[in-house]
Amino acid sequence: MNYPVWYLPEIGGGFLIALIAVLHVFVSHFAVGGGLYLIYAERKGLIEKDQGILDFTKRHARFFLLLTMVFGSITGVGIWFIIALVNPAATSFLIHTFVFGWAAEWVFFLVEIVAAFVYYYMFGRMDSATHQKIGWVYFLSAWMSLLLVTGIIGFMLTPGDWLNEQGFWRGFFNPSFWPSLFFRTCVAILLAGCYGYLTASFTRDDQVRQAMTRFSGKWSLAALLAAIPCGGWYVLVLPEQAMALVQGKSPTIAVSLQWGLWSLVGFLAITLAAGILRPAWNLKPVAFAAMACALVAMGAFEWIREAARRPYVIGDYMYSNMITKAEASELRVSGFMPSARWVQNRELSADNQRAAGRELYVHQCYACHTINGFNNDIVSRTARMSSTALTSYIGRMHEIRPFMPPFAGIDSEASALAAYIVGDLHGKEVTEESAGAAAPGKALFEGNCSSCHAAEEIPTMFSGRDRTGIIDILGRLAEINAEMPPFAGTPVEKEALADYLDTLAGGTK
Amino acid sequence: MSDALIPRPDTITVAWGWFQFLLLLTFPVHLLAMNAMVGGLAIGVVQHFKGGPLRLRLAHRLALLLPLVIAFAVNFGVAPLLFSQVLYGHLFYTSSILMGPFWLAIVPVLILAYYGAYLYDFRFQQLAGAGRWLALVILLALFTIGFLFVNNMLLMILPERFAAYFSNMGGSLPALDHPVLLPRYLHMMTGAVAVGGLFVALAGRFQADRDPELAAQAREVGMQTFFWGTAVNVLNGLWFLLAQPREIMLIFMGGNILATICFTVALLVVAIMLVTAWKKRLWPTFWLALTVVFLMTFLRAWLRTGYLQEVFNLGRLQVVPEYSPMWFFFAILLLGLICIAWMLKKTGEAMANS
Repeated sequence: MNYPVWYLPEIGGGFLIALIAVLHVFVSHFAVGGGLYLIYAERKGLIEKDQGILDFTKRHARFFLLLTMVFGSITGVGIWFIIALVNPAATSFLIHTFVFGWAAEWVFFLVEIVAAFVYYYMFGRMDSATHQKIGWVYFLSAWMSLLLVTGIIGFMLTPGDWLNEQGFWRGFFNPSFWPSLFFRTCVAILLAGCYGYLTASFTRDDQVRQAMTRFSGKWSLAALLAAIPCGGWYVLVLPEQAMALVQGKSPTIAVSLQWGLWSLVGFLAITLAAGILRPAWNLKPVAFAAMACALVAMGAFEWIREAARRPYVIGDYMYSNMITKAEASELRVSGFMPSARWVQNRELSADNQRAAGRELYVHQCYACHTINGFNNDIVSRTARMSSTALTSYIGRMHEIRPFMPPFAGIDSEASALAAYIVGDLHGKEVTEESAGAAAPGKALFEGNCSSCHAAEEIPTMFSGRDRTGIIDILGRLAEINAEMPPFAGTPVEKEALADYLDTLAGGTK
Repeated sequence: MSDALIPRPDTITVAWGWFQFLLLLTFPVHLLAMNAMVGGLAIGVVQHFKGGPLRLRLAHRLALLLPLVIAFAVNFGVAPLLFSQVLYGHLFYTSSILMGPFWLAIVPVLILAYYGAYLYDFRFQQLAGAGRWLALVILLALFTIGFLFVNNMLLMILPERFAAYFSNMGGSLPALDHPVLLPRYLHMMTGAVAVGGLFVALAGRFQADRDPELAAQAREVGMQTFFWGTAVNVLNGLWFLLAQPREIMLIFMGGNILATICFTVALLVVAIMLVTAWKKRLWPTFWLALTVVFLMTFLRAWLRTGYLQEVFNLGRLQVVPEYSPMWFFFAILLLGLICIAWMLKKTGEAMANS
């Protein structure tokens, strides 16, 4: 409400953030772990006096430089660009709160650049002890960058005591800081092995290829084993709401978890089979398959972490749509449109209801939804709802779907938003009257059920059940499906709803 | 209307003067690296197109340095972008959104240009004649990025144009027809080419022991480019000044005494610098150019303040004091600089031995 919204209705800003961020973290974690890998690969070559391994390490360093210095560093700046475009309020908040954390991270980035250049360009031209020290300077500065960014990203998920008593250090050393740092360190080391595996697959010298494949396989396996307890620790410190979302309340997370787990299994299988047991199997397609598995696993992890924060962008402080929790409470009394800066329809009337509804959609829903896009399409998600049902749902959506922010506005604004979605996006008739008085069961259905269930589905769903059976089901919705909220109405309302469902299902049996 | 559209800024943790100091300290460093990148490449492209063994050697030398200077231009850009967001973030985020797709396009364009620079460096010989065209494309990409940056930096101080958002919420270029845009861009880019000349001369100087012929060519071409580039840029600067609204122009003509002194000193230094450049005296010219870049950065800050005086000034930022993170940053900066000095010392020793 304080900032304009960069509006790309079919694409959605969240998709652009995810695209840039997932690719960036896949490379930026390599930029950390890869530094350690280079030190130990070089050390192996030096100890074994194997020029082939040293040549491999130099080739890998070149690949490392090209990938991390160009793609890694510019997509890092790219994340900064895209989050500022998509969520300027949260970006501004994080910049202002942690400015000197970011500034310190910039210093480590500078040290990293110098160390990476010296390491690569002086490979074989500097005494090996100093060269190894340069490698350590690189790794430690890269790890410090990880540490600083982890503190700030962790703060977004688990602000902890900062909510009661603000301050840089309190926010930085938040409850998920240490587990997240350990977990990400393991992931960074794991990915370094994966990239090493890829370089090994391109090595012509068979002996070196097999030696470095096995080295990379053992490296990744060790990191993977260390990552498991760290990951468990990370999950344990999640706030209650995030934990519930991870455990199945969020459909997005459930799907991402499956993708993540299967790709991890694939990665483990390749590492064990073609990495350690039979390094000769490390051919280019196998190495690329391992990379793909690692990318999907990494993407799933980051997606889950982002989704677990919902409905907030900064835990318990600012919602995904840039409205703070405190502001939302006030706006439910004063109304959104008179307070927002970047809207044109400040006063609602019959003439501007749809236009105002569109502005409400842009400012409150677009942060997570698209219009006819593939990511969280608002049109398909509201296809079954009438304007009355949608208005009712908008008022309670944060209760029905706890990963959604509450609507920050007054009733007439909720109606305007519903009118825009139903009238303009679906082209359906917008009805103003409430079904409540005349047909309480219908009103209850629209308010509680129609966001997920169409009236046409009811006969199939309640086939073979009588009114008593329907009342029984209404009493244990969460047992049937964990995503369904329990029916919150009174016993009388439950009976009215059951009557209506019974009618839809084909009459009293 | 424009006032109503300006977002409410966030609080800051130390007095704004600290951020202004850090901004004015780091931005000139970025400018110098950016100038070396753009100007160095521009000269390399011309040398490559003109051809001949000596010019090709110089082009190759500059191609070798290009990925390094891109890395530092990007890194040195991060700090001033950070500190300017602390001070002017509410305006900067808004202007970025107003030109969203164009602003974001900087990222892929820069990635392609950066990879192109490595290709140009690593495959200079193999690419043969195609290399000069590749270098030209990279140069055009860098000029494009510069144009988008100048667009955004201008737009953020023009809140009266913010309402353009409502006619295109997906992003456009609302400052494109502003009379200041073109002279501002040309002033920045011509300056980059000129200072790039100094970079080329310096790059040659560091090769003097190994290749005196190359060093002489670099000095000749670099100092000539610097002289003529600066001379043209004086005219650009005049155009830039005259294109300003009258009340802004007067800031530097007595309206603000410090700005006027700074402007006068800058003009004097430029005059002396033209003489030293004409005489091809590298180091005095370098130090004078460094001074001018800092002075121009200060003038730019006054210009920004002048544009925004009706709607915002830094004194309005609310401070919620917390100084310990800043001391932490300064300690890290010191440590980092020591570390870099040690690495450069070791590199110098190793290169001397090899």
